[in-house]
Amino acid sequence: MTLPSAGPRHLSRRHFLAAVSVPLFAPACLWRPYDAGSFSVPDRSSVGLFPAGDYATDFADLVFRGFQEMGANVKGRRVFLKPNMVEYEPGTAINTHPHLVAGTAIACRRAGASEVVIGEGPGHRRDIEYLLTATGLSDQLREQRIRFVDLNHDDVQMVRLRSWFTGLRELALPVELLQSDFIISMPKLKTHHWAGMTCSMKNLFGVVPGAVYGWPKNVLHIHGVPNSIVDLVSTIRPHFTIVDAVTAMEGDGPIMGQPRHLGFIAMGSDLVAVDCTCARVIGLDPAKIDYLRSASRFLGVIDQTRIDHRGEALSRYATRFAIVPALEHLRAVS
Amino acid sequence: MRQPSAPHYFEKSRDLTMHDRSTGVSGGSVSSSTSDLPRLRTELSAAVQRARNADGGWAYHPGKRSRIEPTCWALLALAQTNPQPPDLDILDRWPRHDSWLIDVAGAPPNHAFNAIAALTLLQSPSTGTLAEKIVRLLIASKGVPLPPDPAIRQDSSLQAWSWVDGTFSWVEPTAWCVLLLKQRLARGPYPDALERVRVGERVLNDRACRDGGWNYGNANVYGKDLLPYVPTTALALLALHDRRNEAVVVRGLAQLERDVLSERSAVALSLALICLRVYGRPTSVPEQHLTEIIADRHLSAGYADDLLGLSMALYALSNGPLRAFTVGAA
Repeated sequence: MTLPSAGPRHLSRRHFLAAVSVPLFAPACLWRPYDAGSFSVPDRSSVGLFPAGDYATDFADLVFRGFQEMGANVKGRRVFLKPNMVEYEPGTAINTHPHLVAGTAIACRRAGASEVVIGEGPGHRRDIEYLLTATGLSDQLREQRIRFVDLNHDDVQMVRLRSWFTGLRELALPVELLQSDFIISMPKLKTHHWAGMTCSMKNLFGVVPGAVYGWPKNVLHIHGVPNSIVDLVSTIRPHFTIVDAVTAMEGDGPIMGQPRHLGFIAMGSDLVAVDCTCARVIGLDPAKIDYLRSASRFLGVIDQTRIDHRGEALSRYATRFAIVPALEHLRAVS
Repeated sequence: MRQPSAPHYFEKSRDLTMHDRSTGVSGGSVSSSTSDLPRLRTELSAAVQRARNADGGWAYHPGKRSRIEPTCWALLALAQTNPQPPDLDILDRWPRHDSWLIDVAGAPPNHAFNAIAALTLLQSPSTGTLAEKIVRLLIASKGVPLPPDPAIRQDSSLQAWSWVDGTFSWVEPTAWCVLLLKQRLARGPYPDALERVRVGERVLNDRACRDGGWNYGNANVYGKDLLPYVPTTALALLALHDRRNEAVVVRGLAQLERDVLSERSAVALSLALICLRVYGRPTSVPEQHLTEIIADRHLSAGYADDLLGLSMALYALSNGPLRAFTVGAA
């Protein structure tokens, strides 16, 4: 629900040149806004779609089995779970459900993780105590004795970005995130009125510290939401994603949309492939979503024929989400 | 192998349930009274002082690096409640870029937190020089303008204050800067300060939610009204409290009094309480709720993790005039 970028107006000349250099010069000299030698797109990727009819599901069991099915190995790792927690309004589907988050933490411990930490830096509200109690996540943290890190207010370290779609060279990122060695993005699947869709990649906006950049994290909007998503994913490189698509959000997401029951969780280690699959589930063409198209150049698989589905077939959940009129052009042609 | 640490937010089973927005400050009740407020103040003050880092500053959470915002709130709170208030040398020694106070080398200066720092420095006559430098920098700082966008109902051409340079104007940094400049103007004229205050006030007017109050800074997107938040509403009202008869202030204050108990946290209740005290409104119910949250959730549960919330609460529950948040007409 934040103001989008309208281009590099009123920026310094240096920033302006950095921001426009990609589209202006890339075709001329084949310059890529990333170091191609540091990335490789797999020939094939696997995406798991696992049924979860409601939030009474035994998520610890489901996620543990999902780890095995998808080959995720957290044994001995310090695991960082990054749910999506933005706002709270009763009866909405804004946030990753606390039961899925807690169940994943239990599954990680069961799978031998040395430590599990949950962290989020909400982009609108900076009052994490309110959000944790209102969403019910604090109850899960207490019951399961899980440590929570407020990423908006954690210590930070300047990190050199590994791609430069934004024109930025570095960003401050939370130390607790950087110290972990297995990062799991845990988004709620939602339409997003600026980006098209919020899923495992867009979820990483929450790691950018508000106490450095403010609320909302406007530096990301100013440099372009799609560009920022790609630069964050390429730099943080989450190891895995677990998408809450039990009850998703359609319409004017990510805050004002309507809950829409889908009944599954998606899992995988290729975030691009997982997000492209989720886009197809809700009736969007991933190739029309800017950040997925950019990411498919060097981060993951967009081509449906190169994605192997585990669990249920995509067709079981395929539907058509309501979206704001401005995003109608993102729809898949049926 | 590292053992799981204690959770950061640990609530007792008798913790308060979510409050119905419709109940408001006149309704609801809690089991505790505020009769032991002096003892709670003493405990809070001790907790804040214990949490001070070796460099003289405060972090957001124990064991972390000192940051501008929690340091300023701790200094304000301790100055408000202790006969021997801490000196403000820590801010004079704070790392700087030009004259901006900097939290993280390489990160952009944060306008809101520099405004809080200058506001803190203004409370002591001995640290006025640095405050003046920050005021000058903030007067020259403007959020970037944007052209009209039919998706967003607001005047995006107005340039008040952004969080960091090169970004858009938002409610919280604007409120802090307006409050700072009004305090500075109360001490004497300052070039261009009044003009910047007026722009800030226009932005706060422009971004007010339909039924009153403020969120982070978008009131209506794609034709849908967004809801206000308690902390940002309190801050905006504090910035505008010399304009208490204006419609946007009247609506905002009514909204705050209606919703104050809907957000149960140290930060939200503390800022609301400070605001209601400055406006001379009834405070007993939110004060009771804040007291209980601090006693049950923040102090009694064996950890005092949210240092910003603790300092805000100590300030809000203090005796005496709240000088850092009181201004004359600008």
